[in-house]
Amino acid sequence: MGDTDAQWPGRLMRPGPLASLLWTGLRRNLAMTGAVIVTVTICLAMLGAGLLLRAQVHTIDGFLLDQIEVVVDLSDGITPAERSALEAEMRRDPLIAGVRYETKKQVYERFRRDFRGSPDVVAGVGPEDLPAALRLTLADPRASRDIAVTYTGLDGVEAVRDQRALLDPLYRFLDAFTVGAFTLAAVQALASFALIYTMIRISAHARRRETAIMKLVGASNATIRAPFVLESAVAGLAGGLLVAGVLVAAKVFLVDGKFARQTMFPLFGWAAVWESAVVVLAAGVLAAAVMASIALRRHLRV
Amino acid sequence: MIVLSSVSKWYPNGARPALIDVSVEIGAGEFVFLVGPSGSGKSTLLRLLLREERATSGQVVVAGRDVARIADRRVPQLRRIVGCVFQDFRLLPNRTVAANVAFALDVVGRPRHVVRSVVPEVLELVGLGEKADRYPDELSGGEQQRVAIARAFVGRPRVLLADEPTGNLDPATSIEIMSLLDAVHRAGTTVIMATHNASLVDAMRRRVLELGDGALIRDEADGRYDQTVPQPLSPSATLPPVVPPPLVMLPPAVPAPRGVPAPTALPARPAGQAPDAERSPWATPTRSGPVG
Repeated sequence: MGDTDAQWPGRLMRPGPLASLLWTGLRRNLAMTGAVIVTVTICLAMLGAGLLLRAQVHTIDGFLLDQIEVVVDLSDGITPAERSALEAEMRRDPLIAGVRYETKKQVYERFRRDFRGSPDVVAGVGPEDLPAALRLTLADPRASRDIAVTYTGLDGVEAVRDQRALLDPLYRFLDAFTVGAFTLAAVQALASFALIYTMIRISAHARRRETAIMKLVGASNATIRAPFVLESAVAGLAGGLLVAGVLVAAKVFLVDGKFARQTMFPLFGWAAVWESAVVVLAAGVLAAAVMASIALRRHLRV
Repeated sequence: MIVLSSVSKWYPNGARPALIDVSVEIGAGEFVFLVGPSGSGKSTLLRLLLREERATSGQVVVAGRDVARIADRRVPQLRRIVGCVFQDFRLLPNRTVAANVAFALDVVGRPRHVVRSVVPEVLELVGLGEKADRYPDELSGGEQQRVAIARAFVGRPRVLLADEPTGNLDPATSIEIMSLLDAVHRAGTTVIMATHNASLVDAMRRRVLELGDGALIRDEADGRYDQTVPQPLSPSATLPPVVPPPLVMLPPAVPAPRGVPAPTALPARPAGQAPDAERSPWATPTRSGPVG
């Protein structure tokens, strides 16, 4: 009987022949592959934009953590005992990192400093017009609203001014764009799936002789599917690389070049760009490969 | 090597079974002709051996394995044991002769040094050493079939199935292909050749299995294409004695003209459509689009 058996070691194709199958497939399917790359790129660009916007929100949060304080204006009639009771309570509050008392005079000095560009405003306000205040630094800037609720209306408290509330429009703007970007990414992901599904169908048809022979000579199912999945993954990789380039370009030209001069807020750094680029690349390759595998179940019976 | 026990095959929508109660044993290293008119079940029998189809009832055993019970992901291993060539060659037109043969090794993950040494050897064996770098459309039909045989043989299968391998070839070329298959057989391979070529069968005088309307109606050692002399069914000499001669399992029946038990009545089946035409990638393209 034959001296050979089916038990030889390697079961998947070697990289060389596999690459040649992949290459002929990509070439044969050039237009379709191009279309897939375009949709995948748009999808990943939206994903990347969403990730960077989220990074920007975090960057601003980090900045506010240092900068933003809640100011508790004290009524003029507060007694020293009431004030120290209030301060003690605040020091026990886990949301509050620090409490600093400012006298009416100190508040006036700060006011003059903040509005030194507007002498008219400064001229209309005297040292007695402004209330003494407790300035609170927060453990978590997002908790400012809770603090406002807790201390408003207590004895001796005239008003609680939450500086972060002033930034609500900015946050709403960034959040809306983040959600919008992720939504568009999802829609584009659907479009990409539809295209990859079609690409696999066309590719399976174009390759049907090859796959028939592969089946005939005993290629494993993984081997038969590999060129298809790789074809899609290559499109995903191409889209991911394009988007990674766009993210870097956006950081260099748009963020560092343009916005940096227009805003007092700090902008996200390179770490966020690299992080987003890695996520975009991984998502592009993996999602495209998974989509191809799903499409293969339908179009390639092995 | 191959044992069929009471194998029947209905195709979905088939008006009648493609195989009825076929029992036969083919020993390792045998050469067997499979004859019978078109539609008699020859191709179906070969497809069962490759697990391209499963028997509706009965058991198909190839190389000790019950083919129907092989897990789907193990089917490729069966197909490495069972090589196959066809009437229409099925070569890849965009690959050279050598690349077509190497493809069969590449896709099962054989290492490169094996491919590099084995492919020229096999091409030499089939007499195409000089044409390794040609493309299939530059070859004659007989040469293309040699490439197909080289591709089927290069993985050293234990069984080679040939489905009308000379169907597209002129008589002289058919004889060349026949002798090539004979050489493959002499190399130790079990060969099953479905054919309509009477002169080849008559010249070779090997074991002949004849199918008629899905039933095995003749199993003759040293047979001819047409049975001229009535003779009793002879179980193959290679059968181990413990196994009853397979055809004994056929139901005893109406007197058969050739002394062969014929199946009794066909199982009735509701009238349906004709069996599906084979959807082969080599079939004429239909509405599904242009050939790639």
